[in-house]
Amino acid sequence: MGSHDNDDMGFQHRNEGSLNCPSSGMSTNPLPEKVSRMAMSSISMFKPSNAPDPFFGSGWDPLVSLSQSDNFGGSSVASQSEYTNHPYPVAMETQGMSSTSHLVQYPSDSSFVEMVPKLPCFGSGSFSEMVGSFGLPECAGISNSGCVANYNPNRDGGIDRTSTMGAQSHDDRQISEEGALGSSPNGKRRKRVPESSPNKNAEGELNKDMSGESSDYLKEQDEKKTKQEENAASNLRGKQTGKQAKDNSQSGDAAKDSYIHVRARRGQATNSHSLAERVRREKISERMRLLQELVPGCNKITGKAVMLDEIINYVQSLQQQVEFLSMKLATVNPEVNIDIERILSKDILNSRSGGGAIFGFSPGMNSSHPYPHGIFQGTLPSMPSTAPQFPSLPQTVLDNELQGLFHMGFDSSSNIDNLGQNASRLKPEL
Amino acid sequence: MRDKCVRVSELNSLPLCLGWVVFVHEFSELTVIPNPNSLKSRFTEGLLRALLRINQHHHQQPRSSREIRKRHRLIKTAAYGSMASAVGNRKAWSRALLSKIRNQARSGAVLRRSLGSSTRLLSMKKRICHLQKGNNKKNRVEVGGSGQVDKLRRLVPGGQLMDTCSLLEETAHYMKCLTTQVQVMTRIVEIYNIP
Repeated sequence: MGSHDNDDMGFQHRNEGSLNCPSSGMSTNPLPEKVSRMAMSSISMFKPSNAPDPFFGSGWDPLVSLSQSDNFGGSSVASQSEYTNHPYPVAMETQGMSSTSHLVQYPSDSSFVEMVPKLPCFGSGSFSEMVGSFGLPECAGISNSGCVANYNPNRDGGIDRTSTMGAQSHDDRQISEEGALGSSPNGKRRKRVPESSPNKNAEGELNKDMSGESSDYLKEQDEKKTKQEENAASNLRGKQTGKQAKDNSQSGDAAKDSYIHVRARRGQATNSHSLAERVRREKISERMRLLQELVPGCNKITGKAVMLDEIINYVQSLQQQVEFLSMKLATVNPEVNIDIERILSKDILNSRSGGGAIFGFSPGMNSSHPYPHGIFQGTLPSMPSTAPQFPSLPQTVLDNELQGLFHMGFDSSSNIDNLGQNASRLKPEL
Repeated sequence: MRDKCVRVSELNSLPLCLGWVVFVHEFSELTVIPNPNSLKSRFTEGLLRALLRINQHHHQQPRSSREIRKRHRLIKTAAYGSMASAVGNRKAWSRALLSKIRNQARSGAVLRRSLGSSTRLLSMKKRICHLQKGNNKKNRVEVGGSGQVDKLRRLVPGGQLMDTCSLLEETAHYMKCLTTQVQVMTRIVEIYNIP
């Protein structure tokens, strides 16, 4: 393709002529004779190249105009306007023009157009800046690599890549440019992500230490927590202080489901350690309040030490009671009835300790068997709640033992009296 | 024929009793067991069964103080064990208590088998038992807190392993269970009518 070859040549010449600097390229074209030489060839190549390349679409026009203006010494005004509007794509496309044989490998229009908006993201991040850089007079006599370096003055990575671009083929240049383009927006995105969407992890890194540390600490603690504690801890969130209010509110809302965020209250230290300690102290005081309700007669006590003493005394007394009662049970006559356990359990569950004369039905295991006889004889005064069970159960099961214990049955009446006294005796113990 | 009706009022007049209506007929009666799955029910069941077992093992009336002491120890273990089983593995103190009982049982059985029951070796057995108990108590002690907190740690089973915050929580639950235990045992004693 002869026209393409001409393009090639034209491009090389243009490179030498610092064609990448649109604004100044026209005025300071150091190779006018080459331009004039190429004028005819470029004109000839201009039209045919323009038509069969729908590839470049809108972006082609500035390029075409650039080539035109370059060749003609920047005489066209129209191209100039397009220059300023699209310096980037122009620059990109001029590089793309280095070898028209590579044109087919040029990215699709859509992708190229995509790349365009990203360009402002380069280092400086402002389109005008880049445009301004183009306006620098250095553009005039700079070689390809140098001009490309000027391209991205602020980006270190870009410079490294672009410096090598000159040596590389068009493809490589393209890829590296794309890579440079891709990395910078990503870098930007990386920084932006925590700001835009409060990620819990990122938040812990970016926010103040106190919230991060305390939240981590609380996260560990929280796993052991019960619902009760969580409710209490959520009450710890006080007023917000400082500028972090907004961030903290966001983070607090986002983090509510996993762990509790504790904010520093007004006028209190915001040190991470003191915050965690305050949480711990409040937890402990809350538990102490619960214990206070459990221990009888401790409503008026204020103070941790006194309360702890009371708690210790109470637990000791309970344990002593258990010991005493078990000692009592150990001395009981083991020939007690076995099946009455079932009735016993019902009775035990249905009444509390010191239940008085309810259990009159079995004043004692010894005398329980003859009791039904007592009932049937109808002389005993106390009415047991589960008395009627006696006629059915003990008689059928315990007949063999009844005779043995029958003689003890006449003690039942006296036992009942003792029983009442026993109950009353046992009550004040507790 | 004999319709004995025990009304709620009679029962309610008695202190500390739950109110329910019980119609007592000759051959039919209705009793209400409040919440058969409650801690109290489970504990009562376990304790009564344990007492049954103990009474089956030791048929004769305990005359000597040694026998009484032995039975006393057994009953105490049964009470704490059934309470811990009723609570299950939900609480740290119950877990610690159960593991302690199991260790005691294991070591006790080993001793019994190895040394027999001769009086000469009895003192040695006791010494070994005490040593083992001492070893069991050599748990991680958390430094911090006043002397009262340490006392509390010693009282609550498994208290050496917890931090102060959870210790208080466990203490609350332990206190509640102890209260239930005392209630039930008192009731049993009343039923047995031990003078």
